[in-house]
Amino acid sequence: MPKLGFSTRIATVLAAAATVAALVATAAVAHPARQAGTTISGAGSTFVQPLVSQWISPLGSAYGYELQYSGVGSGAGVAAITSRTVDFGASDAPLTPDQFSACNGCIQIPWALGATAIMYNLPGAPNLLKMDGPTLANIFMGKITTWNDPAIAKLNPGVNLPSTKISIAHRSDNSGTTFNFTDFLSSVSPTWKSQIGSGVAVNWPVGTGGKGSSGVAAIVSQTPGAIGYADIAYAIHNHLNYFRMKNRSNKFTTPGLRGILSAAESDQQPAADGSLSIVNPPPKYANAYPISTFTYVIVPLQSSKAPDIKKFLFWAVTKGQTYGPKLYFAPLPKSVLVVAEKSIAKIHS
Amino acid sequence: MSTAELSADAARRPFTGRRVRFGDLALQVVAGGAALGVTILVALIIWKVIEGARLSIQTYGLEFIWRVAWNPVLGHELYGAGSFIFGTAVTSLFALLLAAPISMGIALYLTELAPAVIRGPVTALVETLAAVPSVVLGLWGILVLGPALRTTIQPWLHDAFGFIPLFGPPSSAGASIFTAIIILTIMILPIVSSISRELFLGVPTELKEAGYGLGVTRWEVVRGVMFPYASGGLAAALILGLGRALGEAIAVTQVIGGGVGIHWNLFSGGDTLASKIAASYQGSTTKLQTASLIYLGLILLVFSLIVNLIAQWIVRRSARKHGIVRGGHA
Repeated sequence: MPKLGFSTRIATVLAAAATVAALVATAAVAHPARQAGTTISGAGSTFVQPLVSQWISPLGSAYGYELQYSGVGSGAGVAAITSRTVDFGASDAPLTPDQFSACNGCIQIPWALGATAIMYNLPGAPNLLKMDGPTLANIFMGKITTWNDPAIAKLNPGVNLPSTKISIAHRSDNSGTTFNFTDFLSSVSPTWKSQIGSGVAVNWPVGTGGKGSSGVAAIVSQTPGAIGYADIAYAIHNHLNYFRMKNRSNKFTTPGLRGILSAAESDQQPAADGSLSIVNPPPKYANAYPISTFTYVIVPLQSSKAPDIKKFLFWAVTKGQTYGPKLYFAPLPKSVLVVAEKSIAKIHS
Repeated sequence: MSTAELSADAARRPFTGRRVRFGDLALQVVAGGAALGVTILVALIIWKVIEGARLSIQTYGLEFIWRVAWNPVLGHELYGAGSFIFGTAVTSLFALLLAAPISMGIALYLTELAPAVIRGPVTALVETLAAVPSVVLGLWGILVLGPALRTTIQPWLHDAFGFIPLFGPPSSAGASIFTAIIILTIMILPIVSSISRELFLGVPTELKEAGYGLGVTRWEVVRGVMFPYASGGLAAALILGLGRALGEAIAVTQVIGGGVGIHWNLFSGGDTLASKIAASYQGSTTKLQTASLIYLGLILLVFSLIVNLIAQWIVRRSARKHGIVRGGHA
């Protein structure tokens, strides 16, 4: 009877699933916490995940903390800390007023510094083509549609640009990287600012949406003529070309440590909500990469684990920063560090 | 057990009578409780969804349903479900249109044509397809299927049938409504074909043999005997597949490309109700956006309910028409 066969098959699948679960459980038991210490759990930004992963082992040996982090995306991280299912959330975009009130007594502290790279896939063209803000805004508004457009050609004299159609890739989910990118476009293009604006998701006039940085990178790497954005570590690890961006001192800079650090010096005093904006900094920061961003850790001001969370965060903004540079995270500038430490000191149980 | 023992058992009834009653009662309570539990659960879901969507319902009213807009930027906020309802309808219906002949073909082949050696493995393979996680299918869609469609089938369809608005200029990137349709087709194939297979297996052999006895061809038996006999169930199977397509979120989010607007070109991006919720719910930045996303969920819930009611109606009507009393596979 076919029905019987089907239920037997289900039973087999269930048995297999149970075996796998048992194996996983055994594996978990075989790797107990390094010390029987406190677990500190966090969730959020995929951007900051490589850095946080580096902290797990030294934190374990320094304080006996077991650090658990899931890179579920900035948006999901905010949701997780709002519902208090984790000890801290991580987001690349500052919280909106609605998110602040929903989070009920949270503070956001800048704890890492990175940059958004504008990646492209143009067969035959070299890496590090030059690009400026207004041209980029026009591309993402659909006003510039081919690679040999005079605006792009003018920025790249001597480079033979093909007439390939430009395909735009952007994030379809809510993303801190989108916030950083649209924040930059809004600051360089009044038209972008009034018609589209900035946020973790915007109403894109043109282009194809990809889910997550991996989705955008997939579209860019599979589509000749494509332009997309992701954090610099992502672009480098996926061997994608990216632009040198013109800053306000008319210099073309790469999203490297020097450019990020120079940009970070431009905003030393956080706004009332704890956020800092360092996109498109003034000309005196001559080496600044204009699409740089702080990324934030979000914690409740009051929690039962406060002493442990404070110790962890102090470590993260000081010692933890030394793990950044090889992952393209610039260490926090001193002034920001002072501000961050002041915020951390406010956490209490 | 011998007859004597049985009658002796029957004679002891007065003593066991209470136990039998208790069993009946327990069955009543367990089965009734399960049915009631599901009813309460669905009622609670509907209530919570309406409550969650209240802010958006109050702000936009029914206009939300047909407005084509989705702008989450602070200060520019405006939401509407129009383009997502359109996207949901287009992707699901086209996926069904593609999946119907293929899955019926698979089912007929497996029940009527395939040699026994092939039957087992192919059945298992089709059912394995149902076990592929949707996120994996989505990744495959964006990395392999999308680029392939963009460079091969899309230009060909555009060149040959470009006069039909559906086949506009090929998409610039692999992600498009068309890719989503193909992924959905693959996802609903196993469910529709395995139900159809069961239905075809259920066609009484006498009926088929009567057909063959009259000297008709295999195709005529399929068309004249098997399809009419199974029609109600087949329609219900398709509607079940439609339900699956309506609600699929993750894989569609990965391959559909996003975008707000109503356009007939299948090769451009879009969004469905489910994919929009999956992409935007986590990390939604304002209360109004969250409420609007739940409003989308409410619309999806109503859609699914309507689809289910239609399925039941079709099954009942066809059962009456053919004078067949069936449990109903839906």
